[in-house]
Amino acid sequence: MTASLIESQAAAVRPGGYSLVRRGRASFLVHRRAAIASCVLAVLTAAVCLAYLCLGERFVAPAEVLNTLSGQPSTADFVVGELRLPRLVLGLMVGAAFGVGGALIQTVARNPLASPDIIGVSQGASALTIGALTFGVGSFSVLPYFSVAGGMIAAALVYFFAWRGGLHAARFVLIGIGVAIALRSVVHLFITKGDYLVAHQAQVWITGSLNGRGWDEAAPLGWTLLALAPCVVWAARAQRNAAFDDDTATALGVPLQRTRLGLALLGVFLASVATGAAGPVDFVALLAPQIARRLTRTAQIPLLCSALLGALIVVAADLPARLLFAPVELPVGVLTAAVGAPYLIWLIVKDRSVRGSTGGVA
Amino acid sequence: MTESRLTARDLTLAYEERTVVEGLDLDVPHGRVTVIVGPNACGKSTLLRALGRLLKPRRGSVLLDGTELSRMATRTIAQSIGLLPQTPVAPEAITVADLVARGRQPHQHWWQQWSEEDERAVTDAMDRTDVTALAARPVDELSGGQRQRVWIAMALAQDTDLLLLDEPTTYLDISHQVEVLDLVRQLNRERGRTVVAVLHDLNQAARYADHLVAMKAGRIVAQGRPTEIVTVDLVRDVFGLASVVVPDPVTGGPLVVPGSPWHQDSSAAAAAVSAEVR
Repeated sequence: MTASLIESQAAAVRPGGYSLVRRGRASFLVHRRAAIASCVLAVLTAAVCLAYLCLGERFVAPAEVLNTLSGQPSTADFVVGELRLPRLVLGLMVGAAFGVGGALIQTVARNPLASPDIIGVSQGASALTIGALTFGVGSFSVLPYFSVAGGMIAAALVYFFAWRGGLHAARFVLIGIGVAIALRSVVHLFITKGDYLVAHQAQVWITGSLNGRGWDEAAPLGWTLLALAPCVVWAARAQRNAAFDDDTATALGVPLQRTRLGLALLGVFLASVATGAAGPVDFVALLAPQIARRLTRTAQIPLLCSALLGALIVVAADLPARLLFAPVELPVGVLTAAVGAPYLIWLIVKDRSVRGSTGGVA
Repeated sequence: MTESRLTARDLTLAYEERTVVEGLDLDVPHGRVTVIVGPNACGKSTLLRALGRLLKPRRGSVLLDGTELSRMATRTIAQSIGLLPQTPVAPEAITVADLVARGRQPHQHWWQQWSEEDERAVTDAMDRTDVTALAARPVDELSGGQRQRVWIAMALAQDTDLLLLDEPTTYLDISHQVEVLDLVRQLNRERGRTVVAVLHDLNQAARYADHLVAMKAGRIVAQGRPTEIVTVDLVRDVFGLASVVVPDPVTGGPLVVPGSPWHQDSSAAAAAVSAEVR
C-alpha cells in the first residue's frame, strides 16, 4: 500500500471471466463461461428437439421433420406438425419459465431450496386451478388466470407467515414447505369432491404433464412469455445486487425493497403461468437454476442458461415419458421427480454440512 | 465551522420502541475527517446508518446539500455518499475483482456496464487498498484483514465525495488498522474526500480525526478538534474511565492512557474503573 502513495500505474483490473464489448459510450460485459454454456445448451436442446420430433410410435426421418418445419408439404405433417410440435413448443416454454421463475425466487430468498415447487407456489396454482375445474368453471381458456392467482396467493401466504420484521431464509423455506403441504391436501380435497372425469383430468394435471396439450395451451403461454421478456432482461441485471445484505445493497444505490418485490413477483408469475399450462412439473424450477450456476460458476444464477436448462430438462424428460410405456404416456412430472428428488436430498445434506445456516436475515 | 454538505437536524432515531438517538444536530465538516466515538450502545453506529440513509429518522432529518435524504432516490445518494456497513455480506462465490467492481453500480446503466471511468476507479481502488494481487480469488476464501480491505476497495471504487465507514478497522491486526486509517486520511488529504468514521479506539480516533464527535447515550457530549476536546474530564464523562492524557510521542496530539495517576485519589478512580468493568 505504501507504493500506492505514488499515483498508480497498475495494470487495469476487470471483473474476472468477462469479455468487454465497447461501442462508443455503450459498453457491455459478457461472461465468457456463461456465453459458452448457453451456446452448448442451445445446441444440445436443438438436438433433443430434433430427436423429440423424429421419435415416437411412428419414426419420422430427420429430413422429413425439417421439411415440415420449413413449411414444405410432407407426409409427416400431421404427426410432426399437429401432434409432436405443439407439445414440444409447450414443453420448451414451460421449462424455460420454470427455469427463470425458480432462479428469481431462489435469488430473492437467497436459498437454493426456495424454489416455487417447494415453497407452495406451484401447489397454490394447482389448488385454485383444480378448484375452478371441480366447481365447473367450464372454459379451459380461463384456467391460466386461476393458476396465476393461485400462485400469487400462495406466495403472499408464505410471505405473510414468514415475515418477522425481516425475512429469515430458513424460516421462509420451512413455512413454504408447510404451505405447500396444506395446499396439496386442498388439491386432493377438490379431486375427491369432483366427478370422476374431472378427477381423472386433475390427477394427470397435478403430476405435471404435456399429454394431450397443444397449441391451445402453447399460444397464450407464448404471448405471455413474450410480453414478460423485457422484465426478464431487467431482472437479469437487477438480481446481481439482490445477493448483497440490505445495508450494502442500499449503500450501492439499489432500491432494494422494490427490486426484491419486482423479482419475486416476476418469479412467482412465471412459475404460475408455467404451472397453469402444464401442471406443476416437479423439480425443474429447483434443478435448472442450480445446475446453471454450477456450469457457469457465476456469483448469481445466469437466467439465460437457467431458461435453456429448464427447457432441456422438460423436453429430455418428456421424450422417454412418451416412449417408455407407449402407447401409454407418462406425465413428464414423474420423470423430472425421479431425477429431482435425489438431487434435493443431496442439496439438503450438503447445505447442512458445508454452510450450516442458509443465509441469515434477508 | 467550515461549510457542510451533510447535516443532521433534530434527529431522533429509534429501533421499534427503543429510542437510540434523540434530538441530535450535526454538521459534517466538508473536506475533513470526522470520527465518532463513544461507549458501546451510545448510538454512534445508529447515527452513521442514518447519515447514510440506511435508517429512516423517527423525527428530524438528514440533509445532503440541503435536500432531505428521504426525498432522494437511493441511487442518486449513492453517487455522493459511499458507505461501508459494519458486517457486509458478499454474494456467494464472488471474486475480489467482481466485488470491487460492484462499487461502480450507481454510475452504471444497462447499456453502460463497464466504462473507462469504471475501469480506472476499480483499478485505482484495488491498488490503493493493496488487493490487486487477490483479484481472481473468491472473497469467501480471504482472511478477515484481506476481506476488509476488499470491502474498503469497493467503497472507494464508488468514487463518492463523502465516505461513511462503520468501524472499518474491526477484524484487522494493528498494522492493517494503521494502514487502513492512513489510507482514509490520504484519501481525505489528496482527493478532498469527506470522511465520517465510527471508531472503537479513542486513541486512533484522536490521532486521525480532524473533527472528533464524542457521544454518550444518544447525544453529542463534545465535538471539535481532538487537541481541544480530549481531556481527562471528557474521558471520565463519556467512558466512565479514569485516565491520564499525555501528548502522543509521535503526533503531539492527545494520547489517553487508562488508569489514575498515583498522586490523585486512587480509590475513587479504582472504583470508577471497576464500575466500568461491571
